[in-house]
Amino acid sequence: MEDMPGKGTITDVSVLQERLATVERSAAEKEQQLERYAADLRETFKRERERRHELRRSYMATVRALCNAVEARDAYTGKHAERVAAYGMEIARVLDAPFCDDPEVEFGFLLHDVGKVAVPDSILWKPEPLTPEERTLMERHSLVGWEILREIDFLGEAKLVVRHHHERWDGAGYPDGLAGDAIPLAARVFSVADVLDALTTIRPYRPPSPLAVARDMIAESSGTQFDPEVVDAFMQIPLTRLDDIRREVG
Amino acid sequence: MRSVLIVDDDPFIRKLVSTTLEDVAGFRLHEAANGIEAVELASEVHPELVFLDIDMPRMDGIEACRLIREQDNGAAKATIVMLTAAGAQENETRARTAGADLFLTKPFSPLDLLRLVDELA
Repeated sequence: MEDMPGKGTITDVSVLQERLATVERSAAEKEQQLERYAADLRETFKRERERRHELRRSYMATVRALCNAVEARDAYTGKHAERVAAYGMEIARVLDAPFCDDPEVEFGFLLHDVGKVAVPDSILWKPEPLTPEERTLMERHSLVGWEILREIDFLGEAKLVVRHHHERWDGAGYPDGLAGDAIPLAARVFSVADVLDALTTIRPYRPPSPLAVARDMIAESSGTQFDPEVVDAFMQIPLTRLDDIRREVG
Repeated sequence: MRSVLIVDDDPFIRKLVSTTLEDVAGFRLHEAANGIEAVELASEVHPELVFLDIDMPRMDGIEACRLIREQDNGAAKATIVMLTAAGAQENETRARTAGADLFLTKPFSPLDLLRLVDELA
């Protein structure tokens, strides 16, 4: 290095040191500020997650309350909605349906008969076959249920299950007479689960059928009442598994 | 349009605050890098909320706060929030005398920023 005036060099160094100190201080402040952002983000995320769970629990509780209100009127069906929901989700899993992990659809399974609140007791509990007029009133429950739930956004797809759970693959069902793929998949799955439970539980007009018998009856209606693909998936479920589901729900 | 004024000599902090508050409550965000710019901008845009750093070149936040309060326009009624370094009690007292309403200690919580703007909106 060439000779330089000593004093000048010392000044340069001290100025540089001072600047370096300023830069370092400023960098440390930025770092602390970013850490604070990270901490707030983490807290916000945790709170948001708790709220999401809380919301999910209240959705579930609301759906169960509605469901209980329907079932409280009908001593025969007992936990029908819960069994049907469990059968339905099992079929959905075998089908690998896009909704098989979707709580919305399960809500629809649980609430399928909510429209029955509008069906008079005299029709709901009638042991004899219904007259055509009574049948019309009874069949209104799909549409009434859909109307009741229409404004509830979190039910999404569930509302389609409620509306279409009595459609038939051959188009002879109600309320819209939809056929084949026009019926939402969740509703096609549901109708198999619904009939399975209806056949295997006691009714005022007949004793319950064994699971194996009910399963054969469903297989016979593949392609007429039911979507053949859904029935195929259903037939893959071992009888013991169906029996377990029935026991678990009670 | 209702506006918020962000004053700090560190462009990093200005960017951080404005990104945090962007699109939150429908305020237009303005930035100034020192006290002189802040006073001028305040007389132009009449902010409802001012975030004001204290240590700045040319004119510090305390003097800027005093001058904004003296303006004969909407800016004089702004909520003025001082951004202070931890442990600067003396500055706080002086800022309060100059007309500051609230204090946020650096490093500040972004949630506090958002709450302040949200309450005003």
